[in-house]
Amino acid sequence: MTCNMKSIKKIIIPLLILLIPTIAQASVGATELQGSFKIGPSIILIIILCLFVLVGIVFRAKDTTDYYAAGRKISRVGSGMAIASNWMSAASFLGMAALMYGSGYHGLAYVVGWTGGYVLLLVLMAGQIRKYGKYTAADFIGDRYYSQTMRAVGAIIAILISISYCVGQFVGIGLMFKWIMGLNYIWAVVIGGSVVLAYTLISGMLGVTKNMQIQYVIIIISFLIPLFILTFKFDYFWILPQIGYGAAVTDVVQGVPVNEIAGMMNSLGHDYAIVPSPEYAMPWDPATGKTFFQWIAIAFSLMIGTAGLPHVLQRFYIVPNASDARWSVVWGLFFICVLYWSAPVYSTLGKILSAHPEVGKLAKDAIVVYTAQLGNVHPLIVGLLAAGGVSAAFSTVSGLLVAGASAFSHDLYVKVINPKASPRLQLIMARLGTVLMAIIVILIAILELGLIGELVAVAFSLAGCTIFPLFLLGIWWSGSNRQGAIAGLIMGGFISLVAITYFIAGKQGVALPFYDFISYYLQAWYFAWIGAPLSILTNIVVSKLTSNTPLEIRKFLVEKVHT
Amino acid sequence: MLIGGMVLLKYVFVNEIIYIYLIKIKKLFIMDENNQFHISFFRPTTERAKKNRNKVLVLLVIWGFGVFGFQILLKVLEKSTPEPVLTEFNDVWSQVKSGQATDTELQVFARSVLQVAGKVFIEPEHRKAFDNGITWATMQLADSAQKTAIMNALISFEKIAADIEVLGEESYGTAKNNLTALAIVPLELHPNELLTRLLPMELRSEMADELTEENKEIIEKALPLYTTHNRSVLTDTIFLGFPFHYFYTAVFLLIMFIGICWFYSFTTDKINKKLHIYE
Repeated sequence: MTCNMKSIKKIIIPLLILLIPTIAQASVGATELQGSFKIGPSIILIIILCLFVLVGIVFRAKDTTDYYAAGRKISRVGSGMAIASNWMSAASFLGMAALMYGSGYHGLAYVVGWTGGYVLLLVLMAGQIRKYGKYTAADFIGDRYYSQTMRAVGAIIAILISISYCVGQFVGIGLMFKWIMGLNYIWAVVIGGSVVLAYTLISGMLGVTKNMQIQYVIIIISFLIPLFILTFKFDYFWILPQIGYGAAVTDVVQGVPVNEIAGMMNSLGHDYAIVPSPEYAMPWDPATGKTFFQWIAIAFSLMIGTAGLPHVLQRFYIVPNASDARWSVVWGLFFICVLYWSAPVYSTLGKILSAHPEVGKLAKDAIVVYTAQLGNVHPLIVGLLAAGGVSAAFSTVSGLLVAGASAFSHDLYVKVINPKASPRLQLIMARLGTVLMAIIVILIAILELGLIGELVAVAFSLAGCTIFPLFLLGIWWSGSNRQGAIAGLIMGGFISLVAITYFIAGKQGVALPFYDFISYYLQAWYFAWIGAPLSILTNIVVSKLTSNTPLEIRKFLVEKVHT
Repeated sequence: MLIGGMVLLKYVFVNEIIYIYLIKIKKLFIMDENNQFHISFFRPTTERAKKNRNKVLVLLVIWGFGVFGFQILLKVLEKSTPEPVLTEFNDVWSQVKSGQATDTELQVFARSVLQVAGKVFIEPEHRKAFDNGITWATMQLADSAQKTAIMNALISFEKIAADIEVLGEESYGTAKNNLTALAIVPLELHPNELLTRLLPMELRSEMADELTEENKEIIEKALPLYTTHNRSVLTDTIFLGFPFHYFYTAVFLLIMFIGICWFYSFTTDKINKKLHIYE
């Protein structure tokens, strides 16, 4: 390990010494809000990506167990960092601030939903999943419900969730590539998507867990540094910006007159001032068009979705024992919360800094970067922030593409379609799966169907309606059998299908019956609020009406999972 | 009663299919006593499992009340509260609408609409109507010489604004300052006021002659939308600089989640140690 670290230092330090003056000189271009190619941020981004690949090579997996489960040698804190890095995607880094910037208090439903779900995950699942001892969600579903068909369906759902989750990430990558390279959005998505695909194919099989820990450090540092600078510049309690910005929220609510802030202005020369805007912080404000029901439905759907995401559940297989699985959630949640406490700072300061109509309409999903720019943060640091956003998306996308490709090649192709497939053929199928998924995701991301956070929320609702009920009942009720699981899955799948169909139809301008009613109560971002309970109920009723779960499954649950 | 009904069905109607399904329905309510390998969260069979169930239930109740209970409380306590600017607008709106407003009333109208136009969430369609109101009121208040000067300055500003690529261009700044200096006079705005900074951005030359009936309707409906908020003691109390409800949701709930997770992991390890359980 020490030797590995030394070899990394040997390469990285001289590289940085050589490049820093170039970046500093080149970073000037980053001051433009939109526009041209920015060489400074580009170099920072390339360095970070090279670092990830390098770390991956140095800590590469030696065999399948090492790859999937990092040899089960990861510490609690290290595993927590890996969970956080895996979790902190473009939706967390860019999307959350965008949601609060665009809809005020309503955006906090996403903050609460994406963190509160970890409580469910811990108290209901983490330790038990580790004890069950499988590598993938489809493995668990196939074994627990003693069905190859369920395994195949589990794999397909895992692929769909990965695709849905990736779409939001590709939108984020596209926006950041657009900002860095000055391209139009479509080309930015295509180029950014191709880069992330190449990165995944190169580094996907390399030291994933170690890479995630390093990614976490880079992502969080790039996110926090501008916050200290911004709160210091605009005279808030900068030592702890996550508390200091409270005064900024109150400033937005009460308004900041011009004469109180003489000398403070944004990078475009506008005063640090805003008219009283309570709609930013007041709950379900009419000005935002959001309601109390939507707040509750989103928070609930995201919570149960969190406890049903295959790539999140998979993280609990890699720790040495159940106790470590539990503590890794505690640490993981803490590391995630560091970012989630910080994201509203960007949206709040961004609101004041972009309040002047002359600033114009900014892409909400890039508000983190725009806030730093409008706040006159040094271009080099803005570049680092943008590179952090891309890294957040890259780290999640590569994990999701690998997870999706594993589901395709391991769970679907080898376990169901062609059990005699040679290792070479398996590898080809995995790579083919990765490329296919990336193409599908790029095509959907180009359509710009919603904000990053909203698009990612679709994956959560899908997971909440399908995987979550199967895991919850599979672990906690031995009476849940194959027939119940199939029926529950059909119910959850049906609700998901209706919600997503209405969403796509709405975007295409196709009028379906009861459109207003269904698109409100089963909106694509939160349909799990009803889909998950119905799926659980269906599973219970059908299980009760059909034959008992086989004795060996029940014995396994009693003797291995709950002992 | 269920069992009685089953007996009746079996011996009176002798309907085998119905009987079989009633047996299955019975399973919904009655546990299989002979099932030795049965796991159910609500019916734990060991001391440790019982303790775990109780702990999980207590933590989930705290979690549920902490998240959803607080939002429900916010909803219960909330009152639809107008901003002062809405009251000012309402005081003069009927006169403005009927075209009988005095100069002072027009000034109040223009200032209140300008303040709302400067808010953080404005629909483009609403902004257009607000701009119509502001421009029309400014022109109504100006005398003929001022009107000509403002209109010339506005047309010139709009032309430069359409042509420039960077906001910092000198010609743009000069045109904006000229327009501002002229337009604030009829509205009696102070040069250092925030509304003065917003004014040139909300004036539109094509909207100067009249406040259209359509835009009157939009203003009447949209202004209360932006200036009425759901407020209560929870939103108006300031805590560590935050409105309390905002602090609770954005900061405290996350601390609570970590606290719950820490408590669960700590106590589970402790119980396992006490009962000599090695996972």
